[in-house]
Amino acid sequence: MSKHTPTVTLSEAKGLAMTTRQSAAVVRFFPFADSGLRLTSLRMTVVLLLFSVPVFAQVSVTATVDRNRIAFGESLTFTVTIQGSQSAPGLAIPKVDGLTFAGPAVNQSMSIVNGAMSQSVGLAYQVTPSRTGEFVIPAIEVPIGNQVYRTEPIKLVVEKGAVQTDLSQKVAVRVQTPSQQVYLGQVAPLNVLVFARSDVPLRGFSGFNYEADGLGYKYNPNIKSGTHVEGGVSYNVFLIEGAISPERTGQLKFGPCVVKGQLVSEKRSRAADIFERVFGSRVDVTEAPFTMDAVPIEVLPLPNEGRPADFSGAIGQWNLEVTAKPGEVNVGDPITLTIKVSGTGNIDLVPPPKLSGLEEFKSYDPTTKTTKNELNSGGERVIQQVLVPRSAGSKRLPDVRFSYFDAVAKQYKTATHPPLQVNVKPGTGGQTAIVSGGLRLRPEEKLGHDIVYLKGAPGSVARAFSPVTFWLLNATPLVAVAGALVWKRRADKLRGDVAYARRSRAARNARKQLVAATNCEEVQRALQVYLGDRLNIPASGITVSVADEQKLPAGVREIFEACDAARFAGVPADVASLKQKVEQVIDELENTAR
Amino acid sequence: MNWKILLANLLIAIPVLAQDFKAANALYDAGRFAEAANAFEALQPKTANVYFNLGNAWFRQDKLGLAILNYERAQRLSPRDPDILANLRFAQQRLGVDEIGSPFRRFLQNAVRSRTLAEWGWLEVTGLWLTLLAAAGCIWLPKWRTGFIVAAVAVACVWAMATAALVSRVSSPPEAVVLASKSEVRSAPLPLATVLFNLTEGARVAIREDRGEWLFVERADGKQGWVSRSALAGI
Repeated sequence: MSKHTPTVTLSEAKGLAMTTRQSAAVVRFFPFADSGLRLTSLRMTVVLLLFSVPVFAQVSVTATVDRNRIAFGESLTFTVTIQGSQSAPGLAIPKVDGLTFAGPAVNQSMSIVNGAMSQSVGLAYQVTPSRTGEFVIPAIEVPIGNQVYRTEPIKLVVEKGAVQTDLSQKVAVRVQTPSQQVYLGQVAPLNVLVFARSDVPLRGFSGFNYEADGLGYKYNPNIKSGTHVEGGVSYNVFLIEGAISPERTGQLKFGPCVVKGQLVSEKRSRAADIFERVFGSRVDVTEAPFTMDAVPIEVLPLPNEGRPADFSGAIGQWNLEVTAKPGEVNVGDPITLTIKVSGTGNIDLVPPPKLSGLEEFKSYDPTTKTTKNELNSGGERVIQQVLVPRSAGSKRLPDVRFSYFDAVAKQYKTATHPPLQVNVKPGTGGQTAIVSGGLRLRPEEKLGHDIVYLKGAPGSVARAFSPVTFWLLNATPLVAVAGALVWKRRADKLRGDVAYARRSRAARNARKQLVAATNCEEVQRALQVYLGDRLNIPASGITVSVADEQKLPAGVREIFEACDAARFAGVPADVASLKQKVEQVIDELENTAR
Repeated sequence: MNWKILLANLLIAIPVLAQDFKAANALYDAGRFAEAANAFEALQPKTANVYFNLGNAWFRQDKLGLAILNYERAQRLSPRDPDILANLRFAQQRLGVDEIGSPFRRFLQNAVRSRTLAEWGWLEVTGLWLTLLAAAGCIWLPKWRTGFIVAAVAVACVWAMATAALVSRVSSPPEAVVLASKSEVRSAPLPLATVLFNLTEGARVAIREDRGEWLFVERADGKQGWVSRSALAGI
């Protein structure tokens, strides 16, 4: 055992039943090379897992970083490790000015050494600095059960990168937003632009880290590019489109943020391998961070002044279009009222406009179709309401209105559309018909449409279907087929099994002969035929000795002896009595057979 | 009722029915639609044509919910009568009653409704007999076994389809038509319960539960709720 101590790693676990809370585990064994040994050790490990002593009581929490000193633009990994627990608690990482934390990635592990099982869970965060200098990651509080554990603070030093000084003069990161004052609930565009002088060998970007607490920032990862000339200098411009949707009021800030660029340079050393020289990359790629300082964003609450009574939270700049089709209908025909609201802002907050004055129409639940862009900063909502006029005449559809807050104009607005008119004709009015053969009737010809006239006769009364008849009709064929199958089986057996066929008809044939018998010889013959069929041997072969061999009833011997005495010695015999005895023998043997 | 008594009643009833039927038609032709409706209502036994004419009499009085109810009843007895189907569709269109639910479900429902219960029963019995006869042919006439197997499979499919339709018809809940022009369907059998949705006049619903004054109904699109009994009439 001490030579081959198995180690079980839970983080790689699959398919092995565990006694702990984890439902699956992969077991890795080393250093076994032999497969038989592996099987044996697998069994041993299962036993170990079952009987090992979990070390839950000793919980310890540590915080570590993979490096304490990094160059600006690089990231490091900050890991909180909890020994003696398998649950990953939610950690509140305190804010550190100039550092952004991404993650965590959770890694659980379990090991068994000499029967003692220990468990741990690690939470790893990627830490990216947005400036140079010294930082301290403060103590992290880790709640486990009823206790709270604390880690030790960790010091970090972020130094200037090799290319940073030169590049800071050539690359700039800026924020583009229509206003630094936004309203709660508003979706406002906020783009990040990277200006790089055309002589900067910038190939692309490998990361974008930002701080936007409370701003609900979203961005499109597909970066657009273009060129820009300013002061006679040409720049390549890269645009990260984004939008903010503030979640609270107050003075908030966007940033600092770091955009990681990929710079290319020609390879300094030639590869020794010929294949590497021909097919390998001829450039080196290095990462360079471009930073931007925080930009203040003021989030204001919506003003109460001028708020319309029907305002229900829509913020943005919206257009309203209303159409009704068709403009001329018959009574009972549907009219589709289409209301389209489109523009910029959060379309999800746009309510379906309320319609009133629909007494002259039968109305149905409206259908709504919403389309919006990826950042939810604009879109359109189409509401369709079906209205069916109840009576003829010139009808006025209701006016459509809805209120919203225009964040650019900083005031409430109400979009309205004047009522539309439709001409409703009486219901008996026809409609243009298209004959099924493809011939179109003259456009001016209208076909009338009405219910089919009365039936002239009462017609026949529907035939009732009695349940008893139904079940009888269902059961009859089933019983018939079952009976036919039984009969067929018996017929097949009679054809194929001579002994069975003779045995099954032995009694019937013997009784027939017995009824016709008038003397001892015929009675004896009937008994011989019966016994021959029953034993499947020729009737002539049935003698007293055969009867004894087959252990037939004693009556058989008596009948044979009486018949022989009558035939050969002239002893008078009672034929009727003999017949009765033969009947008794047949009955006895038939009953025995059953 | 014993079927002999029923048959005897029918033999007597039909000549009487024919006379009264013509009298009710005459009232309709005279434009006395309300009296015609009462006359058709009084006719016994009700045939598909009686329900059809009754539906027309209600339609002329602009009682479209009642018209649809009687067209539905007529369709139950004579499901493939084109006149009944035409008037039912026309009345539904007039009220703006649309068929809702998935197209596949509507297809199945229409297929099941295309035959009466008795027709499905006869088809099931015939299918069973033919299937068993074909199976017997396979056993006793091995010379034509292939032909009998093909025939057995074909008629067994018909039998299975008829059985499924029959089971569906027998096990489906009773249906009703909405008569009130506006029926509010509520979340509970209480007058002050939340209104979940409204039912259109002429719409068909399935009755899932009966609690006297309140019925728990299901619309074709699966929406369910409680509605007052006075708003509906059973088909």
